[in-house]
Amino acid sequence: MRPVAIAGVAAVAVGLLAALDRGIAAAISPTSAVVTLLGVLGLVQGVRYANARRDRRRLLTEPGEPERRAPAAVPGSALDERIAQVASPAPGGYRSRRDLRDRVREATVEVVARDRNCAREAAAEAIDDGTWTDDPAAAAFFDTRTAYPVRVRVVAGVRGRSNYWYGLRAAIDEIERIDGGEP
Amino acid sequence: MSGSRDAAVAPEAAGAGESEASDAGESLTNDLGEPETDDATAAEVSDAAAAEPTETPTDREHRREVATDRWLGIAGAALSLVGLGVLVRQSSLVLAGAVGVGYAVYARAGEAPTATLAVTRSVSDAAPEPGDEVRVTVRAENVGERALPDLRLVDGVPPGLAVVDGPARVATALRPGTAVTFEYTVRGARGDHDWEPLTAITRDAAGARERVSDLDAPTAIACTPELSAGGDLPLRGLTTVHHGRVSTDVGGAGVEFHATREYRRGDPLKRVDWNRRARTGELSTVELREERSATVVLLVDARESAYVAADPDAETAVEASVAAAGQAFSALLDGGDRVGVAALSPLDCWLAPGSGTVHAARGRETLATDPALAPTPSDERFYRSLWLRRFRRRLPADAQVLFFTPLVDDTAATLARRIDAHGHLVTVLSPDPTATGTAGERLVALERRQRLRTLRSAGIRALEWGDDSFPVAVAAATRRWSR
Repeated sequence: MRPVAIAGVAAVAVGLLAALDRGIAAAISPTSAVVTLLGVLGLVQGVRYANARRDRRRLLTEPGEPERRAPAAVPGSALDERIAQVASPAPGGYRSRRDLRDRVREATVEVVARDRNCAREAAAEAIDDGTWTDDPAAAAFFDTRTAYPVRVRVVAGVRGRSNYWYGLRAAIDEIERIDGGEP
Repeated sequence: MSGSRDAAVAPEAAGAGESEASDAGESLTNDLGEPETDDATAAEVSDAAAAEPTETPTDREHRREVATDRWLGIAGAALSLVGLGVLVRQSSLVLAGAVGVGYAVYARAGEAPTATLAVTRSVSDAAPEPGDEVRVTVRAENVGERALPDLRLVDGVPPGLAVVDGPARVATALRPGTAVTFEYTVRGARGDHDWEPLTAITRDAAGARERVSDLDAPTAIACTPELSAGGDLPLRGLTTVHHGRVSTDVGGAGVEFHATREYRRGDPLKRVDWNRRARTGELSTVELREERSATVVLLVDARESAYVAADPDAETAVEASVAAAGQAFSALLDGGDRVGVAALSPLDCWLAPGSGTVHAARGRETLATDPALAPTPSDERFYRSLWLRRFRRRLPADAQVLFFTPLVDDTAATLARRIDAHGHLVTVLSPDPTATGTAGERLVALERRQRLRTLRSAGIRALEWGDDSFPVAVAAATRRWSR
């Protein structure tokens, strides 16, 4: 870079001298080809510099919104962010999926045990073998040996979401239905 | 500190002449993206130097100075024009490029000036009631030597307050000795509210460089709601030896029949069962259910996880809990019980149980302005076992606990069971902050319902209220609960 910079400074110096002293300008007497070359060089470099602006945001300070009261967190919004992460059909996020499944399973065991008036172990068995619900997507969410229904897989494929995401929503719908909403 | 003198809270209302400034500020704020100021700026700027002596600049903390990249690429555009002009042998294009070079020099020539301002902030009412509108007037005078060609001021409105009228900001240009005034209105909400520093953003005339400073002008308002008794909450059977209103299973003097027993020498004659004496000839004494007072501690969950609401702009569960605790506080004191206040929070908050008018005032103050129950969560970390150890050490042996918590995590439910297990009967009172829109929200609501059920099955009274008011929920629950 240094030789290029030296060459640039030298060129500017010669240009300034030529502007002041016509004799130097006459001595250089560039040909038409050289002038064209300089023009192309200037244009290319100019476009290159101007291009630096592209994709660059202006670094203005954002003062935020002090007029608004500090917003309250909505219970479950953090969980929704985690669910959104596993909505993609791309592989990975195994631990996140497993943690989410465990959490939903815990709630489901409680709901099923209460609904059937049985022990938690019996409820856990019903969840493991998929007999706790008539919804095949909800059943497949906990029972990894069972495949998701074709309808769910087709819809997930078309909409670009994971089967897991549809299974999770089906499971939450189902336990909410069984729970009935009364504390 | 010079800033403290400037920022003295003046309770008088703002002058009518200054109200124009806020309107002008509003129109300017919409143009914040563009650094050019328009004629409206001049209208709100007053020549302060003529009216008042020059003030001392407010203490300022420099935050950052950056190039805004506003003119980034202008040199490239100029060079392109020159190159193109040379290429096509057009001198007019080369000249146009020279204009671009002029802009590039203009962008690099300036320097963002320092915001040497004297800032004063006054509020129309330093002790408003919740819901009252408070007019805030901010005046900033350029007491420096240099003009500020592009100045933006953004006030540090306390996070617990919402602005209901006018933006809390202004954009203007100030010559030395001139001042700008802007106004806005906030709605009072429970708690002590301290204004954060005012942010001043100055730019050079070209807007190429920017300097951000914080100007400290301390202002505060304290909003202490009146406590009104509501929700005549039935207490559990853990009482003191003093007379009160809580019915116990102890026979003695009272109103409600409890049992009969053999007459003992010294029993008052009015409690002898004369009917039985006439029927059988035996002397027996009627025992009545003793009514005693209770010692109650109102425990409010104010951990970060309790600052939740079904809508981001709605009141948090902590606000609902504090409002309900205030109603219970008054109702219990009126009933002759001894009442204290504590917070489940990283910050310490403890008002020992007591009674009387002085204690009532202390309780009102604690619930309104204690930092542990502030409208926004504390940044400190909460240590559960440390908190529980300290709380148990302070809790009188005969105290029962009314625990106000949204129950959105397991910690609150576990603590309720542990306090109950230590012999301090617990009643859980839970405002419902859950929403039912998304899958995550529905799952959290379901888990909360399960926690309530688990507490009830463990013998802990639990009451929740959502859209209903607290007294209505208490009245409904009282019918379900036995003594």
